[in-house]
Formats: sequence, C-alpha cells, structure tokens
Amino acid sequence: MTEFLQLLFQGVSLGATYALVALGFVVVYRASGVINFAQGAMLLAGAYTISWLATDIGVAFVPAVLASVALLALAGAGFQAGVLRRVAGEPTFVLVMITIGAGIAVTALIEALFGADQRLLGDPWGSSSFHAAGVTITWVKLWGIVVTVAALAAYFAFDRYTRWGLAMQATAEDEEATLSLGVPVARVHLITWALAGSLATLGGLFLAGFPSSPQPTLGDAALRAFPAIVLGGLRSPTGAVVGGLLIGVTEVMTSGYAPSSLGDNFYAVAPYIAMILILLVRPYGLFGRAPAERL
Amino acid sequence: MLEVRDLTLRFGAITAFEDVSFDVARGELLAVIGPNGAGKSSLFNVLSRVYEPQSGSVRLGGQDMLARHRSELAACGVARSFQNLGLVGELTALENVLIGRDHLMRCGALRGGLGLARTEERAHRDAARRALATVGAQDLAQRVVQTLPYGDRKRVELARCVAMEPQLMLLDEPVAGMSAAERGDMTELVRRLHRDQGLTLLLVEHDMGMVMRVADRVLVLDFGRPIAIGTPAEVQQDERVIRAYLGEELAVGA
Amino acid sequence: MRRVALPALVVFAVLLPFGLSAAQLTTATFVVIAAIGATGLNVLTGYAGQISLGHAAFVGVGAYTGAVLGSDHGLSAFVWIPAAGVAAALLGALLGPIALRLRGLYLAIVTLGLVFIAQHVFFNAGGLTGGPQGRAFPAVQLGAFDFSPGKVLELGAVTIDSSGLYYFLALILFAAATAFTWNLRRSRAGRAMVALREREAAAAVMGVDVGRVKVTAFVVSSFLAGISGALYGSYLSFAQPDQWSLLMSIQFIAAVIVGGLGTTAGPLLGCAVVFALPSLLKDLPFLPAEGSGGLSAGDLTSITYGLLIVAFLTLEPRGLVGIADRVRRSRGNDTPSKTPKLTVTTPKEAHP
Repeated sequence: MTEFLQLLFQGVSLGATYALVALGFVVVYRASGVINFAQGAMLLAGAYTISWLATDIGVAFVPAVLASVALLALAGAGFQAGVLRRVAGEPTFVLVMITIGAGIAVTALIEALFGADQRLLGDPWGSSSFHAAGVTITWVKLWGIVVTVAALAAYFAFDRYTRWGLAMQATAEDEEATLSLGVPVARVHLITWALAGSLATLGGLFLAGFPSSPQPTLGDAALRAFPAIVLGGLRSPTGAVVGGLLIGVTEVMTSGYAPSSLGDNFYAVAPYIAMILILLVRPYGLFGRAPAERL
Repeated sequence: MLEVRDLTLRFGAITAFEDVSFDVARGELLAVIGPNGAGKSSLFNVLSRVYEPQSGSVRLGGQDMLARHRSELAACGVARSFQNLGLVGELTALENVLIGRDHLMRCGALRGGLGLARTEERAHRDAARRALATVGAQDLAQRVVQTLPYGDRKRVELARCVAMEPQLMLLDEPVAGMSAAERGDMTELVRRLHRDQGLTLLLVEHDMGMVMRVADRVLVLDFGRPIAIGTPAEVQQDERVIRAYLGEELAVGA
Repeated sequence: MRRVALPALVVFAVLLPFGLSAAQLTTATFVVIAAIGATGLNVLTGYAGQISLGHAAFVGVGAYTGAVLGSDHGLSAFVWIPAAGVAAALLGALLGPIALRLRGLYLAIVTLGLVFIAQHVFFNAGGLTGGPQGRAFPAVQLGAFDFSPGKVLELGAVTIDSSGLYYFLALILFAAATAFTWNLRRSRAGRAMVALREREAAAAVMGVDVGRVKVTAFVVSSFLAGISGALYGSYLSFAQPDQWSLLMSIQFIAAVIVGGLGTTAGPLLGCAVVFALPSLLKDLPFLPAEGSGGLSAGDLTSITYGLLIVAFLTLEPRGLVGIADRVRRSRGNDTPSKTPKLTVTTPKEAHP
C-alpha cells in the first residue's frame, strides 16, 4: 500500500509538471491554432537558464527562477514577433513546422553551449525530503505541486477575470473579428507566447529537479506532455491539467508495475499508447469537441 | 423530387427556422429568400447536412436525407456550391471540375500511379470540359484557379457542380460579393443551367432581383418562419412579404 | 524546359558516380536512397497535407523486414526489397482507422507517438532487431550481381564497386518512385489528395472519399519509406535501433520542405541538402576536434536543420524549387508559377 501511495505522490507531482507544460501548449493553441513543437526546447532552455544563473553566475535561487521566467517570456514573445508574425497568413501546418524547426535548432544549440553532461540545477532543495504516512515526500516534488497549483490558479484567474484573458479567448475564436473590434491582436499573440515561455520555464524547473537534473534529454521528457494535451483536448486548460495528471500518474505507475514482458522503459511509451487508445474512442480528446465547421 | 416537411432547427434557445415545408419538383428552380437572419442559410446547411434539425423530414426521390451523412450527398445526387468556394487555388479549372467527377470515377491510386487509368481519365476529362462549356468557361480549362477573377471562379465552381451529374443542385448565394456586371452574368448563367440543361435547383439568395428573374417559385422566410410561397409575381405582391421587407431596402440587382 | 532538362538530368545522374571520390559517392548513394523515402513523404505531406512525424518508424520497419527475410531466411533481394515496402505499407494501412478519425494536428501527435512506440519495439524485439546492440543487414544480391562490400562489377572498361551498385539500384528505384508519384498526382487519387489538403471539409461534400484518400496517402508513403529503409539498412550493413529516431523523421520532413513540398524535384533536391549536410559540416574548419567538447558536428547539423526549416518556411515555403522558379521568372519569363503555393487566397465573404 505504501508503495502505491509513494508512486501516487510521484505520479501526481510529475503530472503537475506535465500539466504546466501542457498548459503552455494549450495557451498557444487556443490563441493561434498552432501546436508549439518547440515547447520542449523552451522548457529545456528554461531549466538551463535557471541552472546557469544559479550555479555559474551565482545568483540566488528564487531571483534566478524569476529572471529565467522573464527571459524565456521575452524569448517566446520575440520568437512570435520575429518569426511567426512574418508568416501570419500561411496555413497552420506551416507554422507548426516552423516550431518543429525552431525546437530542433534550440535544443541542439543548448547542447552545443552547455555540453551533453548533467548539470546542477542550483535549487535549495536537492534531495531533501520528509516522511508522511510511510511515504517519502521530496521537497522539490512537493514544491512542484504547489507552484503548479499556484500557476494554474493565476492563469485561470487571468483568463477569466482580466481583459487580456478575454482578448485571448476572442482572438482564438475569430482573429479577424477581434481585430476589427479594436483589440490589439498583435499584443495578444505576444502575451500568449510570453506565457508559453514562462510556463515552460516553470515546467522545466521541476522536470529538472531531483532525481533528474538539467540535461539535454529533458526535451524528450517534455514530449511526453504531448499525450497530456491531446488527451485533454487541445483547447481546454482544464483538459490540460487533467491530461497532465493522468499522464504523470500513468507514467509512474507503469514504471512501478509494468511487467518486464512489455520491454524496458515501457513507461516512456505508455503515455503515447494510452493517448492513441483514448483517441480511438474520443477523437478530440477527453475534453475536446469537434470544431464547428463553417462550409 | 425534394420534399421538406415541418423542418425545425434550433440552436439552444434560438430558433433558426420553424415548421418549414416545401416541395421542389424535378426540373424546377426554387429560391429561398428572406431578410438577414431569416434562417435561409441555416436551412441550406440542414439540407446539405451540416446541421441536424430538431424535427421534420427531408426526402429526396423518396429517400430519407436526414439519415444521410454529408459525405453521402454526392452519391445521393446532391451537389452544393460553396460561398467560400470549394475550389483549390493551385489547381487548374479543369482539375477542379474533375474533383467533382471523383465520385463517378473508379480508378484507384495503384492504377493511377502506374499510368493505367488513361481511358477512364480521358472520358472524365471530356465530361469535365463539357461541364466547363456549359458555364461558358471552356477557355479557362488550363488556367490556374487562383489567377482567375472572382466571377470566373464562381463559374468554375458551378461547372464542378454540374460535372457531378446531380439530381439536385444547391446554390449558396450565387451572386454574393459580386459587382453589378458579374451579377448579371451569373443570373443569366443560372437561368441557362435551369432552362437549357433542365437542372433542378434550390437557391438560397439575398438578391431579390436575381431571384425574381430565375425562379419558378419562391419561398420567403422571415424570422425563421415561412411567410409565403409562390411564383415570383405572387410573392412580390404578397402583403406579408412586403411587410417583412418594409424598412429594408429591397436588394434588387441593377 | 522539362523536355530538355530530363534527359540531361538522367545522363548526369548516370555519369555522376564516376566523377566522385569514394566518400562523396557514399554520400550521394545515401542521398538517393533517402530520396525514395522522401518521395513517399512528399505524397503524404506535400500532396495530401498530412503532417507525419512517424516516417522513421516505417523506414525502420522496412529495414528490419529486409534483414529478417534477407539474412535470417536467406531470401533473395528480389523478395526482401519489395516485401520491406509491403510490410511498411501494412503498418501505414493500420494507421488508417486512426488517421480517419483524427484531424490534422491530433494526427501529427499520434505519428510522434508512433516513432517512440516503434523505437521501443525495435529496442526490445532483440530476436528481430538485435536489441540495443544492433544487427547486421544483408547485402543486396540480384542474380549475378553481388553488392557486398569489396565486390566489384566489371562491364568492359568500366568498373563499378559496391557503392556504385547501390547507387544505381537506388537511382532506378527512385526514378520508378518518382514516375509513380508523378502519375499519381495527375490522376484521380492525386487530385483527391490535394482537395483533402486544401479543402478537407468541403471535399467530402464534393464526393471525395476522404477516408480512403488519407489511407492511400499513408500506404503509398510508408511503402516507399519501407523500400528506402531496406536499402538504407543494407547499405549501412549494420545499424542499431536508435537509427530510426525522431531525428530521422525530422530529416525527412526537412528534406521535403527544403526541396519544395508537393513538387516533383523537391524530394531529391531536399535530400541532397539535408543528407549531404552532415558530411559537409564535418569538415568545417572552425569546428573543434571530435570529443573535445563545445560545438559538435552533430549539434551543428541539428541547428542547421532547424534553421533551414524555419528559414525556408518563413521566406520561401516552396523550397528550392520555389527559389528556382522565382529566379526563372525574374529573368523575364512571364508564365505564372507552376509550383504549388502553400496558401490559397480565397476571397473572404461575410457569412450572412
């Protein structure tokens, strides 16, 4: 039983992180219909920036995190303004491919700059933990859950109660109409990508935490958040959260309980298998709806 | 040929249209008109199976159309034109019309790739060219569609519909967005398709003038309810119709 | 222009190996082998507009089918090469029901999953794939022609070595693949694919069997990927499962984009750029020596792929073919561009 609870805790904390990453995707998709395949690279960049500031430059941890969030927000917005805006009229497919290209380039660049070895994240928690009900609770994972909940709450509040949140929803619904209403759509896109960058950084922070560390393969871990967003239905923030939790728990449970006949590291593909199976039954994810068609 | 009975469509608390009934006889051109928001586009979308009505029935040649999915329309003999144009810009006019022939063609990808489908291809190309000739666009066959002016594209779109060899053609606001001259040409073209080719057409349109010139009968909707059905002359003098349009400019094409 | 260019191109392609060094010929052979697979992806993504990140999975399936039938069961290359295509095509057909139900981006993500799942299977099915250690792949033997490394073919005054033999075989298969897809594009299936790409919702109403078209596109694409994989494995003669990775899928995507999506010349041009790139970059003077840390050739290659994709899509979505087109037109040739444009401008009318 305690093993189950232990795995459950780890699954929830991983799921929380995936939820953060997934939310970053959903935010971009809702506003522009683009799946940002560069999210993993942004996540990686976020984790490495924190690590670099905290360990190489010697900045205190919390300021390092805040600075990284800001830097990545800027980078995201910069990418939107510098690259994506130039191809604004092209089909979504083109934009998606551009994010794929950007993602590869950034991931390789990070590896080129920092090498392929593991680094220190520079966080104050390390491997410290405490015990509760027979379960070992590592501080970093607990903080992961806390920060995720806070970030999600902040996002939902922003989405529902501020005019920028409304502007983002409107832009997602019908960009031209929104533009004609005088909403600064260009700024909405900037904010969207800035948000994606910040969420990616926070996701990267916790994915890089104990027992992991900043390393180039983090980007692949981010790819496992894809099933999360697909499961949730690409447009639903709630779906992203539920999807993220589901995937995190699935992944950890499979690593704990999967029979060896399914192969080594089955947990890495379990999310994708789960995703495909669910999509067969519900082609738009658990929370998604078939888009209304105007012919 | 087309029998619509008591058709009702609601979106939540909003009624798009209610209790719409009408027939379209073979070879007839029925136009559905009404002021903005009258529900004619929604009606059109139900007929072309985009929307699911709450109640009522639609029968084409005795077949229950509401049981059909929109991907079955072509097989049922229904061709519809698209307002945002169903044309593929990078293809030529002929290729676009050939897409309309797709449901009549049998050759699979294997034969196509191996170059074994030439005979069938030739036959259908001839049919496609005839369709283009019907709309007066035979010279446009090799032109890439995105280089064509809007009026010509609309012709090609119609040719595509004709090439489908349908029992019933659904035309979605054929003169929308057109200049006065283009409107005249399109009106004449629709009249020709109806009179000379003997096609059965159901038209949804905003432009009264066009409708009066081509329709055998007109169904007038207002706020989702049918208020009159009859010949253009009858409908034009109908009090209820005049009242519905009162305060609105009659969109009579010049 | 095409009338003159094609025979000239063929002559050039046939004579090329005799003017290249051994290392260059190796690269050229890989390029042509990859071009077979890229031709397939061009059908799926260029004609039918389906984003697939899963190409590497089909290439891998083709490679291992060739290995199992050729090495483990001793069958002739006349059997295992086509069988590789068929095996991959079957997998592509299996993707059918999934592809039918999913729109655009959902499908792209499922294909992403496919690469990971395929690699997982490759790593674990040791009996077929050799597991993480990898396995040997059979050399091609077509009747009297033995493609094994070290063997040479003497045709009168001309000597063709193993690389050359692979090159010519790949060239023949590539030419066949290109002819097939060229015909396809001008046939009913090709038009249906373009309609699917540009007007998916309307296409069904127009009578196009959208489901069947999607499956067809996947089957054609994966068949060619399988053939490409069989040759690839055979030419490499040894490979580990990490060969058939997401990076390989992305190389193929980069190739079709850089070459020009949906064009005829695109796949080969794109592969020439993408698959020749690593060997070109390896010799760049400013790169530090292997293993000394810092910028590695691998990283630089990836960065370049990424930037190429971004640059081409931002500046010239029609790829190299589009650039060639532009150059031709700027020289005063007034005919409208024949290369497909990715966007279709349609007048936006208000919906009443």
